[in-house]
Amino acid sequence: MHYMFDEEHVDQGVLKELRSIVGEKNATAAKHVRFAYSYDMSFVQPKMPDYVVMAQTVEEIQGILRLANKEKIPVIPFTAGTNIGGLCIPERGGILLDLKRMNKIIDIDTESHYAVIEPGVSHGQLAEALYKHKLRFGWPVGPPSASVASCAISHGIGGLNARYGLNSQEITSMEVVLPTGELVRVGSCAIQENAWHSVLPMPQLDGLFKGWLGSTGVVTKLGIGVHPIPPVLKVFTVSCSTVEDMYSYMLNLSNYEICDDLTAVSWWLAQVPIPYPYRPKPDGAPEWFSFANTNSFTEKEKEARVEIWETVVEEETKKGTSIKVTQYPEEALRARTQLPSQIVGSTKNYCKMAGAGISWPGTFTPAKKWAPVYNRWKEILINANLSPSVRMSMYRGVHYGMLRAMIPFNKQNPDDVENARRAIVDCLKADLDEGGLPYKPPVDFAEQINQRAHPGYLMLLKRVKSMLDPNDIMNPGKLGI
Amino acid sequence: MKWNIPSLKDLERYYWRCTACGTCRTAYNYGPPPVAKPICPAGTEFGFEGFYSSKGKAAFARGLAAGVLTFDDPEFLEAVYKCTVCAGCQHQCQVDFKPYIPEVIEAMRREAVNAGAGPMPLQKNLIQSMKNYNNPYQGPRRVRTDWTRPFKKAKKPIKDINKEHAPILFYVGCTGAFNTAARAVPTATASIFQKLGLDFGILGENEVCCGSTAMRVGDAEEFKRVASANLETFKKLHEERGVNRIITSCAGCYRAIKKDYVLATDYNEMMEGIEVIHTAAFIHRLLKDKELAFSKELPWRITYHDPCHTGRHLNTFIVDKDGSQLWEGAYVDMDESDCLYDEPREVLQAIPGVELVEMERIRGNSYCCGGGGGVMTGFGEWAKKNASLRIQEGMETGADKMVSICPFCHYNLNEGAKSIGSDIRLVDLVEMVDQALGG
Repeated sequence: MHYMFDEEHVDQGVLKELRSIVGEKNATAAKHVRFAYSYDMSFVQPKMPDYVVMAQTVEEIQGILRLANKEKIPVIPFTAGTNIGGLCIPERGGILLDLKRMNKIIDIDTESHYAVIEPGVSHGQLAEALYKHKLRFGWPVGPPSASVASCAISHGIGGLNARYGLNSQEITSMEVVLPTGELVRVGSCAIQENAWHSVLPMPQLDGLFKGWLGSTGVVTKLGIGVHPIPPVLKVFTVSCSTVEDMYSYMLNLSNYEICDDLTAVSWWLAQVPIPYPYRPKPDGAPEWFSFANTNSFTEKEKEARVEIWETVVEEETKKGTSIKVTQYPEEALRARTQLPSQIVGSTKNYCKMAGAGISWPGTFTPAKKWAPVYNRWKEILINANLSPSVRMSMYRGVHYGMLRAMIPFNKQNPDDVENARRAIVDCLKADLDEGGLPYKPPVDFAEQINQRAHPGYLMLLKRVKSMLDPNDIMNPGKLGI
Repeated sequence: MKWNIPSLKDLERYYWRCTACGTCRTAYNYGPPPVAKPICPAGTEFGFEGFYSSKGKAAFARGLAAGVLTFDDPEFLEAVYKCTVCAGCQHQCQVDFKPYIPEVIEAMRREAVNAGAGPMPLQKNLIQSMKNYNNPYQGPRRVRTDWTRPFKKAKKPIKDINKEHAPILFYVGCTGAFNTAARAVPTATASIFQKLGLDFGILGENEVCCGSTAMRVGDAEEFKRVASANLETFKKLHEERGVNRIITSCAGCYRAIKKDYVLATDYNEMMEGIEVIHTAAFIHRLLKDKELAFSKELPWRITYHDPCHTGRHLNTFIVDKDGSQLWEGAYVDMDESDCLYDEPREVLQAIPGVELVEMERIRGNSYCCGGGGGVMTGFGEWAKKNASLRIQEGMETGADKMVSICPFCHYNLNEGAKSIGSDIRLVDLVEMVDQALGG
């Protein structure tokens, strides 16, 4: 990886004003600090912000955004920087707004089952706090320091998605500072200060701030639904030799809606770390492995789930598919149900063999398109000497699902990075052509999305963005518009 | 004597293995129940990425290598030194960067020193003191034995190993000798040894600093000077005075001799026939062999603080050097068997009346006292502030006292306690053992 940074735009007057808002030690233009915010795990070319600011209060964020709006300086919200789409890499310099010190868990409502958190609250922190009340959330495969709010507002995934949908579907209320500095609320907290239970039945204004990659405002408080931990765990595991057979099994099982998480991984992803460069799967090894997590409150409830699952396996066997029941190692089972960062299947482990780089085509794709897209991805990736390390997960029933390939690469070598970038973008094109949509997309993806977008969609997108952010200061360039 | 101390360039391929995932910043226990707490003192204090854990240090190393960052910038220089090198981040990391993290931090500091910029001004005093006095405290040689006066007065003089034979060298260390608040550590150690009837001696005025602090702040030349002198002394003591065991109560000295000295090409030859052991491990061994029994009750509720230098700094990392197991340079596993986690706890629990209550961050997840890596010298106020965080964590257990096995922790944590008006005090394990032995 080469670092090529444009001319700097540090204005001492702006820095002074930022310091007057957040305090002397919480705003800087020091190059070494800016450099540390210039890259992430992804293939996205490093770029430096001009200032880095750490805010701790809503009022400070309002002050920063008013200043930025007046001076037309870009603002990039940041919490842990653990996304793999370059989402916090500044496209046009500006103020990197680090929110990790806004890390208070404001409330855990143990009766109504929601939590109210600040944007810097990490998954590890929330897991620890919720567990004391025997409550849980859908933990993603990121590190424990990753932000709950950032994941949720960016339509991130978690371990309860088969039951409850995306983590963004768990959002119950939001408090947001607009790019112009006004404080707004959406959901129940908009009507009653301390009611954070739901975004419905009012117009879903939370949509103005979800999936926008920090380009419409800064979320300062977030309500999220949390759930009791059913104590009886049962993980069903199978393997098979084709993606078509795996889809058939998952569709069948998902129709019963008994799983918290229903996922399959290709042989290459199951290796941990993903083989880099590509190496062929050994003859006779299954190409797909699936785990289906179920949690029950009683043994009888579990037995009912077992009965359903056994019926599904029997049906799939009768169809003549290659589905075989397997046993999962104990360690892997644990990783399926708890914050998995230090166990198998976490982002860092995926890319160990390659070095430091990892990116993806990470998409929401109709499950019925998984097989054709996977087969195309396999061709593209193997041609690029990369492993087809693919994951498929069902979300909230069967109507949509996640299809993604985690692609490691050697970040020290620019040619390797570019090879991976090209292959990943080609994979994305193949998926978009089948109706899939990327989540947490880097700019290279946004360009592909926009090429295919309905003109009315793009017009609306621009109009909303322009209404909320008239000077285009919020994470500009990330949406490719 | 030749030394294999790597340059930053030598370590380039390792810091490129940092994924920037941020796993390094949280002391995390899988659970249930899950535990997730801050682990990086610098990140806790300064907040910005770059200061934070190994991810930040990898960023600095890459910036240096790319020529984007230089030590001409005093703020950058300072940032490189604002790290306690506690290895907390290393303990969390899971990628191939893991085995080399403290080495990369210290290699950056060596670059800074080589560039004529480092270390920090107050740390330069420390290095100058080592050159002038062979200790980092600007202490005259004769003061090094002040702690032995009560023994002379009690007609229980401690053997001068420069003149007499003894199988055990008690290597006192500079902090215990010169830091008056930490003098209780060598005093208690010698008292225990006398009560047990051990034949031991000290180097006294001839003791030379182990070099740990010089190494931590990046002055490899000064480290090599004192370490070479010590290795030669140890060899001579073995040959001429019959020394076959070096015991130290100082975590820094122990870490240096066990882990830094092995970078000498002729370490094995120089140390042949000599065992190096920390007092806590030595006492534990005696306890297990039933050669030591406690006679006095200490009705204390205590919590134990694991020093970085006797804990995760002693991890052994298994690396696939030739690619025969995983791939070349792969981090394979971590062996904690050299870490002194169980030994001090078992000694404490053997003392009648002691109730051990644990903090949430312990063993490999222990939160640094804040004094390591030259921080106590270079950034005293921050060191004290960080220590107060650890003290608060100890107070949350309801303990009356915090116990450790490091004179640095002893001094710094007590400073931290005082700064927040806490009644809790840090006592060293040897102080408790000495009291519990009675007599």
